[in-house]
Amino acid sequence: MNGGGSRAARFLLDLYVALFLAYMFAPLLVMSLAAFNDYPYPSVTQWGGFTLRWFPALLQDERLLRGLAHSLVIAAGVVAISLPLGLAGALVLQQLRGRAAGFLYAVMVSPILTPGIILGISTLIFWRELGVPAGKFTATLAQSSFIASYAMLMFLARLQRFDPTLEEAAYDLGASAFLFFRRILLPFLAPTAATAAVIAFLQSFENYNTTVFSIGGDWTLVTEIGSRFRFGLSPVINVVGVLFVLATVVFASLWVWLSERRRAVR
Amino acid sequence: MSSGALASLDRRLLSGLCWLLAAIWVFGLVLLPQLFMIETSLWWLERDPQATALSQRIDRLYQEVMLRELDLQAAPVERRPLLEDEIARLREEIALLEAREQQPVKVYGFANYARMSGLHLQVFLRTLAYSVLVTLLSLAVCYPVAWTAARARSRRGRALLLLALVIPYAINELLRVYAWLMIFDYEGLLNALLVRLGLVDRQSGGIPFLTYPFTTFVAMVYAYILFMVFPLYNAFESLDEHQVEAARDLGASTWLLHRRVVVPHARPGIAVGCVMTFMLSAGSYSVPQIMSRGLGGDWFSQLVYRQFFEANNWNIGAAYAFSLLLACLVFVGLVMRLFRVGIREIAR
Repeated sequence: MNGGGSRAARFLLDLYVALFLAYMFAPLLVMSLAAFNDYPYPSVTQWGGFTLRWFPALLQDERLLRGLAHSLVIAAGVVAISLPLGLAGALVLQQLRGRAAGFLYAVMVSPILTPGIILGISTLIFWRELGVPAGKFTATLAQSSFIASYAMLMFLARLQRFDPTLEEAAYDLGASAFLFFRRILLPFLAPTAATAAVIAFLQSFENYNTTVFSIGGDWTLVTEIGSRFRFGLSPVINVVGVLFVLATVVFASLWVWLSERRRAVR
Repeated sequence: MSSGALASLDRRLLSGLCWLLAAIWVFGLVLLPQLFMIETSLWWLERDPQATALSQRIDRLYQEVMLRELDLQAAPVERRPLLEDEIARLREEIALLEAREQQPVKVYGFANYARMSGLHLQVFLRTLAYSVLVTLLSLAVCYPVAWTAARARSRRGRALLLLALVIPYAINELLRVYAWLMIFDYEGLLNALLVRLGLVDRQSGGIPFLTYPFTTFVAMVYAYILFMVFPLYNAFESLDEHQVEAARDLGASTWLLHRRVVVPHARPGIAVGCVMTFMLSAGSYSVPQIMSRGLGGDWFSQLVYRQFFEANNWNIGAAYAFSLLLACLVFVGLVMRLFRVGIREIAR
């Protein structure tokens, strides 16, 4: 018995999961299919024949390409900001005990539990008061506010497995704090930092709700896609969709494969 | 020992650097922006309440200027500079008062919150109600999926199922919602199907699904349901297989097994899933923006957006945003109390 109950029950459960997966993938299939339809408006019901012409059309789309460039710049900024802040937050939390630690922890994770639009709005208002107009800079900071929380949680989890005797040993051997940090702590944290960087990058790249409220007249790839739904929807957006789906499948497969392999090694 | 003193000095320096960075994050990116938002929600610009008195005073000053100017024409040459000075002084005072008359004053109070009209309040409550519904529905639908994934017999099977769940989870939210737009649109899949079945007349242009709040709801469930699966999966996976077997051996039915063993163990996971799903739904701007075409389908986030970027009334917008934040905080508090979990278990 593996917790599954009778054979019939297990079959029903499997069927249910299969239906759930169909529900997850069918709409994506519809969306992807329209990218190959030779019809000027995204559609699967008006079939104009198979075409690949929307793919080169994407390369002609100046705004989408510039949006992509903006997205990459912002994501790089978010990684550069949220990793140090998240690490510093985790190290500070580790030094604290009791009530102060609980309170600071709650403040540091609160951005994760705050609706994204509110992070965007508060950043927008704050920086306008300081005379900084909305743009890529404010969008970067708004995203960093909650992405740093994710980084902090990941570093904190890793730090809990850190052997404190290593620190004592390093200091007993006369290492300076910076040497200890550079030669022992950072190498120990490096795998986590790499994962955190990837996650921070993807979170930033995919973000819509926070960005659309804090970016002002500027735009990213995702906010540009968002603005197309009201005006000028064309199969080019479906091409972007297909590319996103492909990239995600590759990334996710790699991710699952790597983590399974790591688990097998352990 | 000097080396010890030096070591403790740079240890303090390093620790100080950490505190500084943490403070920049906590204050600069989180607390101060929130405080500024709350402050903005607590004031509005108003015509100076003394404006009528001011304008009377300005009128009187204009009269005096006119009188002086008449005097000036009749006055002997040696008195003229004096009069001219006086006229200049009066004009200056007038300019000052006029500036004050036109300058709106900042008034503090709670009126921005009270100003939420009946319609907006209705949208606010409907958004919260729909978000609760999205959360409950997601929980009900995801529970068996996460259970199956966590209890999969072969490691390969589990890895594949996880992959199948991660892929739609990781695909951009906008594109996933866009897929539903293609289904519900006038020329969409659903209308084409209904025409094919002869249930809808082609000439009528199809059923305007996008004007119903229901379609926003459907797309929202689709967009956020997977945020429920993974916390549940993590919680189920950490449950000891022996506990499940023991319960079975003692003759527990499936219902009893889940009620007495699985759910109590998975409390934190259930709480995290509910909090995330609710928060994402209540604060979602992407889904309603893509899906709703009607007057009836408005989500509260759209009203907030309009206050900021169309009505250009940031004070009311801030009040709306803070109301939404409060509602989410209340929900988090309720869930934490209901499942008896602390903040450390919620955010992990």
